[in-house]
Amino acid sequence: MTHRAPRDFPAEVVENLRLDGKTTALVLRCPGVASTAEPGQFVMLRAGTGNDPFLGRPLAVADLSGDRFTVLCRTVGRGTELLSSTPAGAELTVRGPVGTGFWSARRGVPLPKTVHLVGGGVGMAPLLFALRRLDGTAVGRVILGVAGQGWEGLTRWAGERIPSLDLYSQDGTLGRRGLALDGLPEGLPDEEEIWACGPEGMLRALTKRYPGDLGRIRVALESRMACGMGGCLGCVLPTTSGNRRVCSDGPVFTAEEVLWDDRSA
Amino acid sequence: MTGRPDLMASTVGGLPLSSPVVIASGVWPYDPALWTADRLEGVGALSTKAVSLAPRAGNLGTRVWETPCGMLNSIGLQNGGVRDFMERGLPVAESAGRPFLVNVVMESEGEVSECLAILGGQRERIPAVELNVSCPNVDGDGMAWGMTARSTAKAVAVARRSWDGPLWVKLTPQAPDLAGAARAAEAEGADAVVCGNTWLAMAMDLQKRRPAFQRVVAGLSGPAVFPLALRTVWEVCGAVSIPVIGCGGVASWEGAAAMLLAGASAVEVGSALFTDFDLPRKIADGLMKYTAAAGIESLSGLVGLGRKNHEGGERR
Repeated sequence: MTHRAPRDFPAEVVENLRLDGKTTALVLRCPGVASTAEPGQFVMLRAGTGNDPFLGRPLAVADLSGDRFTVLCRTVGRGTELLSSTPAGAELTVRGPVGTGFWSARRGVPLPKTVHLVGGGVGMAPLLFALRRLDGTAVGRVILGVAGQGWEGLTRWAGERIPSLDLYSQDGTLGRRGLALDGLPEGLPDEEEIWACGPEGMLRALTKRYPGDLGRIRVALESRMACGMGGCLGCVLPTTSGNRRVCSDGPVFTAEEVLWDDRSA
Repeated sequence: MTGRPDLMASTVGGLPLSSPVVIASGVWPYDPALWTADRLEGVGALSTKAVSLAPRAGNLGTRVWETPCGMLNSIGLQNGGVRDFMERGLPVAESAGRPFLVNVVMESEGEVSECLAILGGQRERIPAVELNVSCPNVDGDGMAWGMTARSTAKAVAVARRSWDGPLWVKLTPQAPDLAGAARAAEAEGADAVVCGNTWLAMAMDLQKRRPAFQRVVAGLSGPAVFPLALRTVWEVCGAVSIPVIGCGGVASWEGAAAMLLAGASAVEVGSALFTDFDLPRKIADGLMKYTAAAGIESLSGLVGLGRKNHEGGERR
């Protein structure tokens, strides 16, 4: 992959699908992102061109189709609420695509024979996109874990796209009762990998579950960030090769690289 | 850019600028893909990320926090040290074919001298230095060098002895007597002062019920600080005769025009680039149209015009 620095684009909201109380799928028309984005990459999305909210919100690309791409937006504050309530026809500002993605997380290492995908909540977004692009690699388990009530829309939306989806909820109201990791195989054979995205707790639990296989676990991380171009160093992550930027060195890292104990929660 | 670009050109503090828009320190990565002509439209010069003598790991914990119309940062000057800059940063900075300033952290007198001596060893490759006096004076009372006229003078004198090229001094707006600090920088041989830097502030994390940053305080930037920065630019421009570069919350051509009217010869833009890569071009275009519409010959005609008009108004 040749490196391209992200660019800013206007993006028209083509569809705004309120999946449930707090989750929205936004389909955006933006050829500049749709023509180049790779699984694991994300965009910095801003509502309008005003100064408040000031910064973009980092959201993973969940799907691409022609000149459009999709993101999943979970409302956690005013910024994400503004994005979620942007109606079809309105315009957002996009910086992207940002980051290096799943394929680049182990540069030069061939893709595994089999990959298991495990997502927590809207962390499913980059995995959905990866699933579409996997070619020559068998897909093992595809697992979505959610808290339970309040996540009906996302689980339905993901289920429509992935017939083999294993669904887990902590309260047992959606799919099987349990944690996403419950759906993973006991051991991880050498030719298999796990790709994961979701809450920090889920990713940490994953590293505890497969302590000897961290080099074959790729995690797409979230972080507070400001610039979305690798400049401000606001999103750095302690790794075995020093501080690295979640936005432009990641957001996908192997679980082996990440110094989990030094990472602030 | 539209119009006549030559109307925008000037030499500011020893640095020839094709546009009065300078990218502030701390925002532009050493990503070769971003140091190209098409990514730097409207940019007159760039200031690098802060460079210290030894590598700095930067601060732990949360480093950025959004605020109304702005953001806080507590990065902690993370950088690979001056030798790493010479090896990896400098070739990228040179590749843009545009003037740049190496932003040098005022650490101890010994450290900054050594750092500048290393830069001076490649003097022909480095167009200018911007001295950041917002860091604590570990030799003295631990306050930032730029907090008083006296310590600012000391810092600039040390830097001036170690660096004979263009020297801009980036002041700290925390200084109670900013005009005095600017005068001290001028007296010790600064070629220009940048006014100013981020504003000390803080945030509380309501979920964790504790300050958002490990160091408690952090630097506020973005449009929220613009009126504060404009006031300091007005004060400093009234105090010195070397060029002043306005810095703080500039996020539009209107903001840049206000800085120039107050007496700034150029502006630095920082966090606004997080929301719009195209801002420097928009500022340059906007300034050109504004001066043309006002019938002003060139951009230099705008510099300080707000002061002249104000003084004229007082006389009437």
